[in-house]
Amino acid sequence: MAGEVIYELKNASKRYGSVIALDGASLKLHAGEVIGLVGDNGAGKSTLVKVLSGAHQPDGGQIFLEGKERVWGSPREALEAGVETLYQDSGLAPHLTVSQNVFLGREKFVGGFLGKLGFLAKKEMDHDAHRDLEAVGIAVPSSNRSVSQLSGGQRQAVAIGRAVAWAKKVIILDEPTNHLGARQAGEVLNIIKNAKKKGLGVIFISHTLPHVLEVTDRIVVLRLGRIVKDAPTSEFTGDTLIGTITGTIQTIKVEGD
Amino acid sequence: MTDSNQNAAKSKAQNPLAARLSTLATNQSAVLVGVLVLLTIVFSILEPKFLSVATANNILTDWGSVVLIAVGQTFVVISGGIDLSVGAIIGLSGVVAAWTMSELLGADQSIKGTDSYGILAVGAIVSVAVGLLVGLVNAFLINKFKIVPFIATLATMGACLGFSVILSSGMPIGSANDFNLISAMEPKTNPFSWAVIVVSVVVAVVGLFLHKSRFGLYTFAIGSNTFAARGAGINVERHITKVYALSGALAGLAGIYVYVRLGAGSPSSGNGRELDAIAAVVIGGASLMGGVGRIMGTVLGALILFTVQSGLIMIGVAPDWKKVVVAVLIAAAVAAQTLQNKNGRK
Repeated sequence: MAGEVIYELKNASKRYGSVIALDGASLKLHAGEVIGLVGDNGAGKSTLVKVLSGAHQPDGGQIFLEGKERVWGSPREALEAGVETLYQDSGLAPHLTVSQNVFLGREKFVGGFLGKLGFLAKKEMDHDAHRDLEAVGIAVPSSNRSVSQLSGGQRQAVAIGRAVAWAKKVIILDEPTNHLGARQAGEVLNIIKNAKKKGLGVIFISHTLPHVLEVTDRIVVLRLGRIVKDAPTSEFTGDTLIGTITGTIQTIKVEGD
Repeated sequence: MTDSNQNAAKSKAQNPLAARLSTLATNQSAVLVGVLVLLTIVFSILEPKFLSVATANNILTDWGSVVLIAVGQTFVVISGGIDLSVGAIIGLSGVVAAWTMSELLGADQSIKGTDSYGILAVGAIVSVAVGLLVGLVNAFLINKFKIVPFIATLATMGACLGFSVILSSGMPIGSANDFNLISAMEPKTNPFSWAVIVVSVVVAVVGLFLHKSRFGLYTFAIGSNTFAARGAGINVERHITKVYALSGALAGLAGIYVYVRLGAGSPSSGNGRELDAIAAVVIGGASLMGGVGRIMGTVLGALILFTVQSGLIMIGVAPDWKKVVVAVLIAAAVAAQTLQNKNGRK
């Protein structure tokens, strides 16, 4: 099922002032694997996402991409190394078109002198954006349309499609099914399955536990900055997952203070 | 792959006439041209002399100084900011250029013909450099000290006004020269003076960069959603620096334009022009919230502004009313936008 370890976090910790947001978190992601990252509010999910995406540097611990240790100076560095992150609700620039959003930061230029001046190959990008989105399972009416004219579900689909299309190794999705209706959420889950088929390592952060149970291979549960459970999805039911998140089910991994 | 090719072909086939006609009604530029034609008709009826080459020349000459800073302002506004310093930059850059030309190059003497071109070129470079520098200061204040653009550029506006008065002792510098370029603006047998043509070319080139290049795209992206722009790997601070530098440099260019027009660098020559620029931008349909704007809109907005001002003066309204009219136009344009958005959303 899953390939080699593609992304690894070893013993990462992060504090903000006196608050310990992340306490010795370790995590292994394989190629072609979907990990669900769950936990209550304040459990350290967003800190973990920021560390993995390069937005924050951990105070301690190491990050390995394909076995090589990496230190991310910025999200840009992680992005260029093949780690794509879709932040919650950040997604897209509403005034730009679909293809402008898909290609934002990775534009294609026309040939010759004008290209050197930064003039854009609009038609090529419109065409390629459509093709790339379709390839990951998203049908957007026109890549020439402004994102503000799309529905919430379509916007989210474009944002995820953009991330999946560009991701080379790892993709981190922070609450991608938030605010979506059942059918649209289903489409997003399909995109995640496509990304997995592509051989990407996927980290899926969500509060919607049925989605997590449906799409992930493994679930990592965070509580108070610690990873308290890391087990195959098949070992969880809805009830045991909730119990693990809230702490009513005692986990083996908790080490005494 | 084949599917998307077919789709692309299909949308191309549907595009031509029907689509173009249907968008014309909602096309901002078409509406603005309509307003312009309407204004011209109304003023021509009230004052038949309005419809003349001389009037057109006057309007376009006024337009030339403001459209440059309005175009710079368009970038700034699209990026989500505002630049209040541009009017003061016109005064300061004109004064510094005039001082350089007269003190260093002896241009306060009457220099005629082609001899003046070199001196004027130096003046233009100095003027643009002064504007660029002020633009960089604006960007520095905004990026490093996180001062909101409104306050940062208000501060540099005050500083520029002060410096231009200090440098010039409050008097225009270099009134005695006789540049060919100035006289080129004198005869009003042609609506387009030499300087207006230069300005138009600059505006067209800058406009292409706004709408066709990555520079423009990033400007829109930052104004539309700074967070997303950052997430896409855009260096927002560096881009903002370029935007304010561009706005400043264009204001410097406007400074030498005004110098050429007046034959002197006057510290007060740009007073209040920032208001004209903002008016042109919002009449042109740019949103002060960022992410929206077009060069063509700004160009037409500036033209409407000066058509109204000239027209009112010609039908006998006292020139003192000018600022009130500009204020009313700004308010009306923003109100129209807000109403449009409200209706559009529902």
